Amino acid sequence: MSAGHRSPTPESSARPRTADPGSSVDVSVVVFASEAHDDLRDLYRQHATVLDLHGFSHEFIFVLSGASRDAIEAVKELRTAFLAVTLITLAGPFGEAAALSVAFRAAKGSIIVTLPDHIQIDCSELPGMIELLLREGCDVVVAHRHPRRDSALNRMQSTIFHWLTRLLTGATYRDLGCGVRVLRRQAADGINLYGGLHRFFPLVAHLAGFRVVETPVRQSESDAGRRRYGPGVYLKRVLDILTLFFLFRFTKTPLHFFGSLGLTTIAAGAVITGYLGVYRLLHFGPIADRPLLILGIFLIALGAQLFSIGLLGELIIFTHARDDKDYRLQDLPE
Amino acid sequence: MSQARSLSIVVPVYNEAENIQPMYEEIRVTCQALARDWELLFVDDGSADRTAALVRELARRDPHVRLVRLKRNYGQTAAMAAGFDLCRGAIVVSLDGDLQNDPADIPRLLAGLDEGYDVVCGWRRRRQDPFWSRRLPSRIANWLVERLTDVHVHDLGCSLKAYRASVIKDVALYGQLHRFIPVMSWLQGARVGEVEVNHRPRRFGRSKYGLRRAWRVLLDMITVKMLTAFASRPVAWFALLSLPSFVCALIAAATMASSADRHPHTSLVISSVALLFSMVGTHLLAIGVLSELFVGTAHRRPRDRHVHIEGSP
Repeated sequence: MSAGHRSPTPESSARPRTADPGSSVDVSVVVFASEAHDDLRDLYRQHATVLDLHGFSHEFIFVLSGASRDAIEAVKELRTAFLAVTLITLAGPFGEAAALSVAFRAAKGSIIVTLPDHIQIDCSELPGMIELLLREGCDVVVAHRHPRRDSALNRMQSTIFHWLTRLLTGATYRDLGCGVRVLRRQAADGINLYGGLHRFFPLVAHLAGFRVVETPVRQSESDAGRRRYGPGVYLKRVLDILTLFFLFRFTKTPLHFFGSLGLTTIAAGAVITGYLGVYRLLHFGPIADRPLLILGIFLIALGAQLFSIGLLGELIIFTHARDDKDYRLQDLPE
Repeated sequence: MSQARSLSIVVPVYNEAENIQPMYEEIRVTCQALARDWELLFVDDGSADRTAALVRELARRDPHVRLVRLKRNYGQTAAMAAGFDLCRGAIVVSLDGDLQNDPADIPRLLAGLDEGYDVVCGWRRRRQDPFWSRRLPSRIANWLVERLTDVHVHDLGCSLKAYRASVIKDVALYGQLHRFIPVMSWLQGARVGEVEVNHRPRRFGRSKYGLRRAWRVLLDMITVKMLTAFASRPVAWFALLSLPSFVCALIAAATMASSADRHPHTSLVISSVALLFSMVGTHLLAIGVLSELFVGTAHRRPRDRHVHIEGSP
């Protein structure tokens, strides 16, 4: 995680902005597009109109990775028509997490909106999300499409995915698949996204110490019934959840996890070898030819290894605890 | 707040709205009698109730009061760490936000600091908490810590403590280690003492602890033991740990060698046992070397006792 960059000073002063004051905007909209996407001109037009209507000055940053020529043409066209449009093309298929990181660095706004490459929520809900962020003093607002109109298969997949996430991390977000998020500058700077972690954006933000709010919004007409998951992504998704599980469980208190696991394993091994020891001492027979002995010793060995890994983790955390604050301040004390 | 005697009181609060006003009154009375410069720092750990609003109101009326608001609920250790990081006094006193500690004990803690201690812990000799769920686990924990470390304190769990700011600001507080502040500060070279303090039953709100944490506290204790005992020389410590494994491996190997001719089928099991033991031994040695690497390259080393300079502001 980006833990090493945390500091107790409030993040309003987090990153000196080098952009000249004249070019500052309220909202930076980040759009990531890869192979399949809607018409980006249309996406721009709809969202820009809504933002204009509510008086938010804005810039759009399109990050394209493996997108079609059409998409590049569309963005270039937008860029000539409107000043506040930036095009970033990634040299390879780096994925959404990498794309978002790049875009966050380029974004000039104090508020950043991420949009997927197709319209997921009713555009008129966007200003409401921004206002919620400003009003509540939270750092990240994520959308929850509700009521959801989707095929039964999609709904089932999504239910299993959320259930598994909740089981492993305890997080109760209801729509991790929705890519519409509103975040403050400091949250964008303080979150380290990589691999498939963008799918768990609210969880990663929470883990980095930020306050996250999920709000129900209307699903867009075009999003309803769209097929999003191919069966090939299941394995990837499960691996992502596991990564997250490890981040949640180990990064703060490694010994709580490895220690519990190791001690349980050692206990199981001790019970087995203890049984064999008693068996031998009471002269029931020799034990040296019993495979159970190997199992018992093996479990003790495994437990000792797990436990020592936990100790090593604690040592690493202790030696770096100074650079790594466990908290973030809402505002500076007077 | 630049004087050497200036006092910061740090109170982590989480949903303690009813307790803010009485708490403030009691602390103010105590502090005004002390003739020291003082500040009262409430650390709001993401309360959902009116806690922050009440503190802000107090701060408006009394400039001694300051509010530190955390973004969300991070837990008591983080809240205390925030308080310690942001307080400005030369002396810091921490106490619980639930009024169970008596601010009237503060002068006695300060007297302890004047005797030359860097950290003075409160000892709730007559503790007003349920026996089975609170007092017994705490007593076991304290007994264990006394066995495992050189810190002789009766009541680690008491939040009412006084510290020299120069010492406590340097102590690494993370995870749930606030229970081990005396041990963690001792690690940094602090002299730790204790005085008896008053303890009162809870008046408002409800307790946020439970017995479930006992296991985690036990594991934290092992961590603290490791940090105190062998963090400065991990490779030696892990080598010591690996010794029994190698001895067992040797015994198993010897058994195998002596009986291989007579019982050929048992030698397979025994040799496996020997191999497993030597594997664990090697693994522990390797972990030791790895830890040495981390400790050697770290900015902060455990038990760098010479680092603490006496009487530094």
